[in-house]
Amino acid sequence: MVRFLAKRLAGAVVVLAIVSLLSFAIIWLVPGDPTAAFLDASATPEQAERLRRELGLDKPILLQMLEWYSRILRGDLGHSILLNRSVAAAILERLPITLSLAGVALVLAILAGVAAGLVAAVNHNRWLDQTVMTAALFGLSVPDFWLGIMLILLFSVKLGALPTGGFVPLDEDPVGWLRSIALPATTLAVIQVGFIARMTRASMLEVLNQDFMRTADAKGLTRLDVVLRHGLPNALVPILTVAGIVAGALLGGAVIIEQVFAIPGVGRLIIGGILSRDYPVIQGGLLFVAVIYLGVNLVVDVLYAAIDPRVRLQ
Amino acid sequence: MKRWIDVGLAALGAAIIASAPGTALAQRKGGDVVIAIVQAPPSLDAQVTSAQVARNVTLHIYETLYARDEKAKPVPELAEGVKISEDGKTYVFPIRRGVKFHNGKDLDANDVVASLERYRKVGASAALLNAVDTIRATNSHEVTIALKETQSIFLDNLSSPRAPIAIYPAEEAAKPANQINYIGTGPFRFVEYKPDSHVKIARFDGYVPNPNATGRDGLAGKKEVFLDSVTFRFMPEAGARNAAFEAGEVQLLETADGPTAKRLESNKNTVIYKVLPFAFQVIKFNHAQPPTSDVTFRLAVQAALDMEEVMAISYPDIYQMDGAWLYPGAPFYTNEGVSKYNKADLEAGKALLAKSGYKGEKLTFIVDNLRANMDTATVVQQRLKDIGVNIELSVADWPTVSKAGFTPTGWHFWTHGYGIEPYEGPASVMAPWVNGTSQQKRDETIDRLYAALNSAMDERKARQLFVEFQAHMYDDAVALKAGNYGLFQIGTAKLKNFTPYRIPRMWGVWLEQ
Repeated sequence: MVRFLAKRLAGAVVVLAIVSLLSFAIIWLVPGDPTAAFLDASATPEQAERLRRELGLDKPILLQMLEWYSRILRGDLGHSILLNRSVAAAILERLPITLSLAGVALVLAILAGVAAGLVAAVNHNRWLDQTVMTAALFGLSVPDFWLGIMLILLFSVKLGALPTGGFVPLDEDPVGWLRSIALPATTLAVIQVGFIARMTRASMLEVLNQDFMRTADAKGLTRLDVVLRHGLPNALVPILTVAGIVAGALLGGAVIIEQVFAIPGVGRLIIGGILSRDYPVIQGGLLFVAVIYLGVNLVVDVLYAAIDPRVRLQ
Repeated sequence: MKRWIDVGLAALGAAIIASAPGTALAQRKGGDVVIAIVQAPPSLDAQVTSAQVARNVTLHIYETLYARDEKAKPVPELAEGVKISEDGKTYVFPIRRGVKFHNGKDLDANDVVASLERYRKVGASAALLNAVDTIRATNSHEVTIALKETQSIFLDNLSSPRAPIAIYPAEEAAKPANQINYIGTGPFRFVEYKPDSHVKIARFDGYVPNPNATGRDGLAGKKEVFLDSVTFRFMPEAGARNAAFEAGEVQLLETADGPTAKRLESNKNTVIYKVLPFAFQVIKFNHAQPPTSDVTFRLAVQAALDMEEVMAISYPDIYQMDGAWLYPGAPFYTNEGVSKYNKADLEAGKALLAKSGYKGEKLTFIVDNLRANMDTATVVQQRLKDIGVNIELSVADWPTVSKAGFTPTGWHFWTHGYGIEPYEGPASVMAPWVNGTSQQKRDETIDRLYAALNSAMDERKARQLFVEFQAHMYDDAVALKAGNYGLFQIGTAKLKNFTPYRIPRMWGVWLEQ
């Protein structure tokens, strides 16, 4: 297990090194610079150059690279040009918002996805199975930004039941928080519900044909007991892997959803950084997201290895 | 002998005209207005950014020595007036007494000097003060500015709202760009800035209005605030903005598209405002690269284009056909020299193209991803195809395009709007073409006219110089003006006495219960 962990960690370090280099290379890869956000269309190149000096963007690229690595090795992600504060502080400030959005979406996706998958598997090839799977396909196919707008139109404009956007912190007003997170979390969860439902169905169908399931049936257990106590735990291993992937996807999906619902999360920070060429935010944000992804994958790998010994013996 | 320019009187007159309607309505104090804006301001340090979205907020918090009235004419704001020496090189500004900053401190000459000096160092349009030699506090409430040379547009520059020369307390003005506390003398004080969410400002109860002003007047005038607070919510997604308005969470949409305005037109709880003209649509040529370096080629393009088609497609329901390089109603506005505007003559275009050196090579039209700009580029591309010009569109986001467009290679055409320049006046309209900045090659005629306009103290002469500039823009097809466009603003009917302007002014308006 220790060797397995060491191998996984070494792999993560290599990936991080590559991501850090790519994050820095953004300065060359992306045309334009942050002065465009500060100045209007008729600003002269001289004005832009002055501002570049003010913002410290005129330093030689090698020096900037050295500064970048010396900073990130100390855990300092840099200073945002537009927000005028440290990138780490800006990310940490927004992280609870994005995590609560992704967290609620993950819980919704797992609950709804597993339930839908179970219903479909148990009713294999019957109309309920077909209906659930068609709905899952719809969920997988619908663009999240469109769904978000449709939900706003229905629940906010027509019914006036929920706010159209914005975010209320949990510690400020729990009910307000739930109301502000309901539509974006649902929108974010819909695609993943379809994904998890399909995986659960496939996994359950495999388990349902196993000998021990027949034995459980033969013992005279109720159908519900057989499925939930004997079937589901055995079908969970692939679902766990999927949940890891889904957690990453939800963080990625949050970028779009935060735009649609005007939620001040990490995704919006990075999008804002990209549109205004706030390099430290783009670089720090990318590195941060990479660390989160690697962390989630690592946890899933370890859990998987813990549950299934074959994985760590390979 | 020195002469007084009694701009105060002019301001009074304009203010009376501007404030006439609406004043008889029942005014009511209180309430919070939420305005949906498309993006967050890059900074609330007004001096360091010329972004429109920043002005929307900062011009509520800060004031300037001189500000623009309803017709964009400079009038005193924190200054009582100005005394200009006969040689036009010394400006003495008496500063209004009793004006308070949001931190309770009294405004004095040292604050003004420190703020102007800071602008020269970090201002986004520091060139506005290029003519300044020295700035001195000549007594506690008097500032004297000595110019290196006569500059007829000095007061225009001083009152420019583009990156406003905001007056800060001296201790804030001592701080570097973007490091200040947001303290001004304006009718609203800063409350909070939640990144990626909103900016909130509240009525400044210690505000001392300009005693010479009687009513709302452009960015100057009487700034009476009835609202308790104003929240500018950053909402990048148009659909979400519109939904928030319809759900009653937002009271004013700073900008909305035509279809939304049309849809909400019949709603009695909604008022649609047309801000027209708000900007010019301009098609620029790169003069540093053939064939757009060739005046005959440019004239061929000018002759062939149907500007009505361009405007009708790019800005349906909110455009004006106008060839003048200023807004209608502006002091120097004239139609002299614009006879070549919007000829839409394909045959003439073909004939001119045949005389040019163009051999059918592929040309690059750079354009940002704003829908209206892409539409303009597409219409131009299709129209010019009819006379045999082969154009490829290169679409990218604004930071990319704005960088590429100020280099001499890699592009032939570029289109975007000019909004604040025509509002500011003739010198600002000419400035982008001086030293070949926008066309990438010096144009001696423009440089000469601009220098002459800068030093022309006689208004008649200045007017003539602008006419010459306008004619030159058409005779040489330096760049093409397609037309004026506007924007729709949508407000709740409960928002009373709101009149659209270059920024959504929140003074003089109130919320009905």
